[in-house]
Amino acid sequence: MGITALRTENLSKRYGRLLAVDDLTLDVAAGEVFGFLGPNGAGKSTTIRMLLGLARPTTGQAWIFDTDAADVAVAHRRLAHVPADVALWPRMTGAEILDLLGRVGPGVDAAYRDELVERFALDVSKPAGTYSTGNRQKIALVAAFSTRAPLLVLDEPTSGLDPLMEREFRHAVGAARDNGQTVFLSSHQLAEVEAVCDRVAILRAGKLVEVASVAALRRLHRTEVSATFTGTPPDLGGVPGIDDLHRDGPVGVRFTLDGSPAAALHALADAEVATIAVREPSLEEIFLAYYGQDAR
Amino acid sequence: MSTATLPSRPPGPALAALALRQIRRGAVSVTAGCAGMSALVVTMYHDQALDPAALEALARNPAIRTLFGEPVALDDPGGFTVWRTGAILAVLLAVWSSLAATRILRGEEDAGRWHLLLSGRTTLTGAVRAHLGVLAAVPLAAGAAVAAAMIAAGASAGGSLLHGAGLAAAGFFFVAVGGLTAQLFPSRSAANGAAAAVMVLGLLTRMVGDGLTELAWLRWLSPFGLVALTRPFGADRWLPLGVLAVAALLLLALTAWLAARRDVGGAIIATAGGRPARTTLLGSVTAFAVRRTLRPLAGWVAGVAAYYLLIGLVTRSMTDFLTANPQFTEMAAQAGFTLGTVEGYAATLFALLAIPAGVFVAARLAALAADETAHRLALLLAAPVTRTRLLAAEAATATGAALVLITVAGVALWAGSAVAGAGLTLGDALAGALNVVPIVLLCLGAAVLALGWMPRIVAGVGALPAAGGFLWQVVADSIDAPAWIGVLSPFAHLAAVPASSPGWRAAIVMTGVAAAAALVGAVGYRRRDLRT
Ligand SMILES: Nc1ncnc2c1ncn2[C@@H]1O[C@H](COP(=O)(O)OP(=O)(O)OP(=O)(O)O)[C@@H](O)[C@H]1O
Ligand SMILES: [Mg+2]
Repeated sequence: MGITALRTENLSKRYGRLLAVDDLTLDVAAGEVFGFLGPNGAGKSTTIRMLLGLARPTTGQAWIFDTDAADVAVAHRRLAHVPADVALWPRMTGAEILDLLGRVGPGVDAAYRDELVERFALDVSKPAGTYSTGNRQKIALVAAFSTRAPLLVLDEPTSGLDPLMEREFRHAVGAARDNGQTVFLSSHQLAEVEAVCDRVAILRAGKLVEVASVAALRRLHRTEVSATFTGTPPDLGGVPGIDDLHRDGPVGVRFTLDGSPAAALHALADAEVATIAVREPSLEEIFLAYYGQDAR
Repeated sequence: MSTATLPSRPPGPALAALALRQIRRGAVSVTAGCAGMSALVVTMYHDQALDPAALEALARNPAIRTLFGEPVALDDPGGFTVWRTGAILAVLLAVWSSLAATRILRGEEDAGRWHLLLSGRTTLTGAVRAHLGVLAAVPLAAGAAVAAAMIAAGASAGGSLLHGAGLAAAGFFFVAVGGLTAQLFPSRSAANGAAAAVMVLGLLTRMVGDGLTELAWLRWLSPFGLVALTRPFGADRWLPLGVLAVAALLLLALTAWLAARRDVGGAIIATAGGRPARTTLLGSVTAFAVRRTLRPLAGWVAGVAAYYLLIGLVTRSMTDFLTANPQFTEMAAQAGFTLGTVEGYAATLFALLAIPAGVFVAARLAALAADETAHRLALLLAAPVTRTRLLAAEAATATGAALVLITVAGVALWAGSAVAGAGLTLGDALAGALNVVPIVLLCLGAAVLALGWMPRIVAGVGALPAAGGFLWQVVADSIDAPAWIGVLSPFAHLAAVPASSPGWRAAIVMTGVAAAAALVGAVGYRRRDLRT
């Protein structure tokens, strides 16, 4: 086992009667890009606030590289953060805010910062009070990426970015990954998660419902096959790998495939197949299936 | 019925209800406070055997007149109440009114909530009007409550009504001032600063007009001066109130006119465009705290310096007066005021310095709480910065800035008195000014305590030892309250420096209480969830 960048053990947060985060145990390896997903109100931001020491866990504990997350003076030397809604001091210019965050933060790669300012097309001479939502977010992103901190904790960092900027964001995450940095990314942009994440965790109503690599998540879900026949459809019941068999009109069938398709293909080849369609569910459909179950 | 939407109603009542929700608690306390204080002083006047001659003599002292205004009918319970509480209540109402106006107008707009509010049928002007309309009702209610309470307590009806109307008009005027500055400036703090500047100017003008007979006409230019000119229980003049009400209505009209000429979220005085980065004082949390304190400090310094310079300048007229009428010195001393000497006069007025300095400290800690609520601290606290370090930086900076403010006040009074040739030494002036430090520390302790445990009310709790303590002492003095009530105010423990030597014991006790409060507050601040 390699180094753990971020770890939680039985982490819970209670707000009155609401258990916002319920017994969360997570382990994110160093160098990983980790997606943190879930419907609105699932407890993602609450978890992140506990990781950052902004909120105190009701029970359980979190570690940043084996430092207690509550010990922020040490833990935050190896971490940078983009909050869910970025608020800046309205009279300070973007450049001044970047300067401040660079100087109080865990260190800064000034050349990379200037490059990021270019890439994100930021006008840092304007006071932050005049910035749009996306521009505020870009300031926080530039500040976070330019620290080159070993762990980046990003809470919906692209919710206000346009597609062009979103591409720059993916580029920056890629650069961080190549650099060996760990990225903990909470997001609702499923395409982005699919594009950049190695593993994802899905949280629902405060509980962890799945942690898997994106590939494994796909594998967990079965291929859908629908076929029509020139004559009567064959009886496919009992063929290994075929599940959820349905008649689809007088000459069609639908079923899902699990495991090796060899047996099913054999059975189909013996019949007179007119058309066949094989469909992988999109990651979006997979996520939505998780989100949909008994949402909060 | 098949329609799914609500029937269309005009948005006015809903807006008024929204405004009311945001101010109701403060409105009730301010109204009750004004009425209660007035009634108490009227009632107690009956029960005490005041020596009218002594009071009259005391009231003719220019220093006291500068401070509390020209006494009109001290032999009347109502007149005495107006003189003793009128100026204070007018300032209280003015402060509350302008702060509430900037809060529910600029503050809400700043927080982005008006974008949602105004996405419906409501126009910006409509929303501003509705909010100011509700707000304007509060000083009217407070004035009415004061009049009713005084009449009920036994003061004559005519004077009470005029006094109540005067307070209402002062509050009304500052609702308009707050409304106007909320249109002009892009941030709540700038709007508050501008409203405070109007208030300080108004107060200084009134003080000069009251203190110096040859400049008495200046009072027509100040909202507080106009209120004083009504002379309730004496000449009973309504004309100055008419002038003040017309001025307020003009400001309101201007406010509505300006509101129609700007964008939602924008301001008349636009935020500057691009500028080169100023990177001084960004290197550490402490440096950053200093940076954020400098601008407000400049405003407070200007106001306090002007006030104490003026106080210094009128020492001359007071010393002249005392030389001509030595018997008053003695009478004043009997009434508990050490005004006989320049030092005594300076001591009495330096005690007041605890209020601006204490409120300043409370406001700085409240700014930290506001940064938290506005989510601005998330970025800062994601850096390797502990909350304790952040709080310590903020508290130390606020204390240092308060010391600057206090020192400036001492130097200003000394400079004024030197110009007037009153013969106060700089050392004495500084000693008198620094004498209020323990009360300022109490404010700091209270503010930190609130930040740790009740972050919504940092400003109020922080200002309590100074502003609340002062009001407490005024009431306790006016009603001749038993000693144990009086000593609850920190002002009761303030030695009359430079007239007498500093009360080290009281200073140490107050500092200890302040430190304990700050410690408990810091523990709470470390432990609680941040709202950021
Ligand atoms: N300070 C608080 N007091 C009470 N309840 C809270 C508080 N903060 C969050 N909650 C509740 O905790 C739950 C989780 O909120 P959280 O902000 O973590 O959700 P999220 O997963 O980040 O949602 P989103 O995708 O909308 O950002 C919600 O039901 C929310 O209402
Ligand atoms: Mg969230």
